[in-house]
Amino acid sequence: MNNIFSFFTALFCFTVLSCTKEKTDYQAETDPAVIEHHEFKEAYSIHSGGYRISIEALNGMFYKGYNELRLKIMDSRTNQEADVSAVTFLPIVAHADGRNASCPHLYDLLRRNGENHFSGYAVFTEESDNDTKWELYIGFTANGQSYGITQEVAVHEQANKNRNMTTFTGKDGQQYFIALIAPQRPKVGENELVAGIYRYDRPGNSPSGSFPDPTQYSYTAVNGFTLQLDPRMPEPSMGNHSSPNNNDLTQEDDGLYHGIVNYTMTGNWTLNFILLNHQGQILKGTVVPDDFTPGVEGVKSELHIDILF
Amino acid sequence: MKTRYTALLLSLIGLNASAQHNRAQRDSTKVIDEISITAQAKRKIQTDMKMAVSVDEFLASADNISFIKRGAYAWEPLLNNMSMERSTVTIDGMHIFGACTDKMDPVTSYVESNNLTAVDITSGQEGNMHGATVAGSIDLKRKSTPFGLDRKWNGAYQTGFEGNNRQFFNLGNLAYSSDKFVADGSISFRKAGNYHDGNSNEVNHSQYSKLNTSLGLAYKTGALSSVRVDAIYDKANDVGFPALPMDLWLSRAIITSAAYKQLFEDGLLKVLDTKLYFNAIEHYMDDTKRPENLVHMDMPGWSTTYGLVSRANLKRGAYSAEIQLNLYNNLSIAEMTMYPQDRSKKTMFAYSWPWVTARFAGLSVNNTWNISDISRLNIGGSLGWNYNHSKYVEFNWIFHPGTPQEKNRALPSLHASYQLNFRQLDLSVGTGYGHRAPSVSEGYGYYIYNSFDRYDYIGNPDLENEISYEVNASAGFKGERIAVEAKANYFHIENYIVGRILSLGSPMNYQSVGVKGYTSLQYARLFNMALNASYDILQHLHWKGTITYARATDNKNGNLPFIRPLSYQSSLHFMHRNIGIRTSVNGDFAQDNYSPEYGEDHTPAYIVWNIAADYTFKIGHYRAALQVGAENLFNEYYSTYADWGNIPRMGRNVFSSLKFNF
Repeated sequence: MNNIFSFFTALFCFTVLSCTKEKTDYQAETDPAVIEHHEFKEAYSIHSGGYRISIEALNGMFYKGYNELRLKIMDSRTNQEADVSAVTFLPIVAHADGRNASCPHLYDLLRRNGENHFSGYAVFTEESDNDTKWELYIGFTANGQSYGITQEVAVHEQANKNRNMTTFTGKDGQQYFIALIAPQRPKVGENELVAGIYRYDRPGNSPSGSFPDPTQYSYTAVNGFTLQLDPRMPEPSMGNHSSPNNNDLTQEDDGLYHGIVNYTMTGNWTLNFILLNHQGQILKGTVVPDDFTPGVEGVKSELHIDILF
Repeated sequence: MKTRYTALLLSLIGLNASAQHNRAQRDSTKVIDEISITAQAKRKIQTDMKMAVSVDEFLASADNISFIKRGAYAWEPLLNNMSMERSTVTIDGMHIFGACTDKMDPVTSYVESNNLTAVDITSGQEGNMHGATVAGSIDLKRKSTPFGLDRKWNGAYQTGFEGNNRQFFNLGNLAYSSDKFVADGSISFRKAGNYHDGNSNEVNHSQYSKLNTSLGLAYKTGALSSVRVDAIYDKANDVGFPALPMDLWLSRAIITSAAYKQLFEDGLLKVLDTKLYFNAIEHYMDDTKRPENLVHMDMPGWSTTYGLVSRANLKRGAYSAEIQLNLYNNLSIAEMTMYPQDRSKKTMFAYSWPWVTARFAGLSVNNTWNISDISRLNIGGSLGWNYNHSKYVEFNWIFHPGTPQEKNRALPSLHASYQLNFRQLDLSVGTGYGHRAPSVSEGYGYYIYNSFDRYDYIGNPDLENEISYEVNASAGFKGERIAVEAKANYFHIENYIVGRILSLGSPMNYQSVGVKGYTSLQYARLFNMALNASYDILQHLHWKGTITYARATDNKNGNLPFIRPLSYQSSLHFMHRNIGIRTSVNGDFAQDNYSPEYGEDHTPAYIVWNIAADYTFKIGHYRAALQVGAENLFNEYYSTYADWGNIPRMGRNVFSSLKFNF
């Protein structure tokens, strides 16, 4: 009897304390390998004409896609913030074949109340390599004198697909850019989706003055557009699976476009878009089929961004 | 309307029952029997046809139980034609919840016929003793040997073979009883291959194998008190579900309890029985053996419950009462991990039960007054509190944005019945009112694939309580050779929970065609009726017959699914000396009131003949019984209204079993 009893006690302990298969670590499952960046760090520091210009970016690095920037200009001697105005910012990419181009950016940096820096952004369209060199042209006025400086910067690969971007020519013949800004780390369920939408303003005049002529490299954040959203899982095994309760992206006070995306599970997702201008005309994008097609890779809109979550 | 089947096993208890009753009230178990067992029809765990049955086969022999079958194993019991979440299924009052989102593991699949002594089936609100219910309760009674039997050691061994699916089973149990100490042990193995349908075609993926073992130890701590610890361990692996796109790789359950029972000789309070319990279930599906699945998916599930059940019996004169306190906490977890065709790519993950806690506390009371020698009044009620918490509520927010993570519900219940026994007539009328909370799947399920209507189901945490209004009546006549009984009940259920097609969302599971969300119908109505008759044609020749009928409609007079059409059973039993011969015929009429909306199609009528013969003999001091027989003698090809995906039922099955008692 004692033997039977100990057998059952052992059995009990064994079965209660151990499951045959471990439960999935949900936290680990939803923490992709990409690291979320929240902290601004100095990326470059330039000394010029008695001033020190500090360029800050998230994690102190520039990545392909959307980059928020902060610029601080200090007096080199006192190390105090200098009294400067008319701070301008222009990124230029030089290709090996001699072509020059820019990317969506804020030319006149903003000085917001209560902040000790100038704010701007750049949507780098290419990564730096041997044939692709990015330079920042920064200008400012201090004590009535204009200063201009140039700094070569490195643009790194964006490992986080949730900060992906796309560029295309709309039906109106204009070049547009869509860059994902948030969420950096999506979660299952509802996520606020934030994107910047920009247009390249084709110059009406030929270049003039010294290089670079800002009028040749002008970009505008478009106003009053709508970015229609249809998120789907492209994986054949998911049969074109989608999620409910998503909202199209519309512009809010910060100039950016905000919408809602729901992710029903982790995995690969495609954000299928249709871009409408302020008059509601389609500039780019196609309606994707919504039928369930198991075993077939999901059809994507001609305007889409793939993300991984 | 209490249909209570209490069956003492043919083995030890059954054989010793008479000896026990002749003795004075010398042990506590005896006293308990006196108090708790009211008028009960005693039935062994065996059916009219077979003496060695599985728990499912045994339950199927009750009038008000029907089954959804997804294969040969783990049938889902429907009480009063209502699905599992509408009834409470307990083991000795202990709540247990299956760990499979697809209902591949009802509680009844975790026990075995040789560790049960009886199954109490209580219809409607009278079943609220174990917690809130609509359809009623099914309580599986564990075997529990009394203290101080004349024979210290008792045991039984049963073996058998079923030809159709080459099922081989061995069931053994052993009990030791002394004045102070009792031990019950049982072990069973079942292994079956694929079964064959009426066209003699093999039904692939219908095999199973099961191991069940149990141990109970009781010690008498005083003249009127005892403690008892119990454990059941059940393991099923390689179980095929031909009606589903996946099988079961492994499920395991450990069911444990510790109880203290105190009896009182004087005063109003007669018995106080308190039990603490813990049970854990793990369930792992396997879809790798189905070539039609292009996508591999892992779907493990876990369900852990602990709780307390405490029961008091009161009695004074013509008044008696039963009070029960139920507390439990259950955590249900189910995962889905989908593998892309390119295995190097990232897997996709979601919870189908996002760590859902269900907590319940309830107090139930049932009062009985014996108004006169011929009449009796029952009034009872319960009040319960149900709490749900979803840990990863973001999954629920996708379809129900902003729904609270927690939900509290009050679940009241009332019932009353009046019984009259006048000479050979039995009459009873009853009524009931009660609430139930949505189940974990109905409230918090997420993309649970239902292969019957091929929809993915989404739970709704904001569902209202289902509210049942019920009336029931029965009338019976017992003559010298003839007995007739008619029973009927009618349920009007408000906020009846069903799945409705959602316009939003798209399916996630590979074979699904759309998404359904659980919603409440304004109301649904169910009517159940059973007519039983028996007639002793000759001294050794007995006839029994049953007809059941049910009808259920929603608020638009549409049919509800899984409602049994008119069905019948008729059996003849000849018994002389050591030989018994039984034959029976049973069948359903065509299911005309089917529900296409819920994936049903028209099921034609069928009729099945069975025959069996048994022989009882003695080897030395041991009693033995041998039975051979055939089910579905004429190899009818059929499937019933509740066969998932119209899978055919078993064709001709020649069975044999041998049982020893020692």
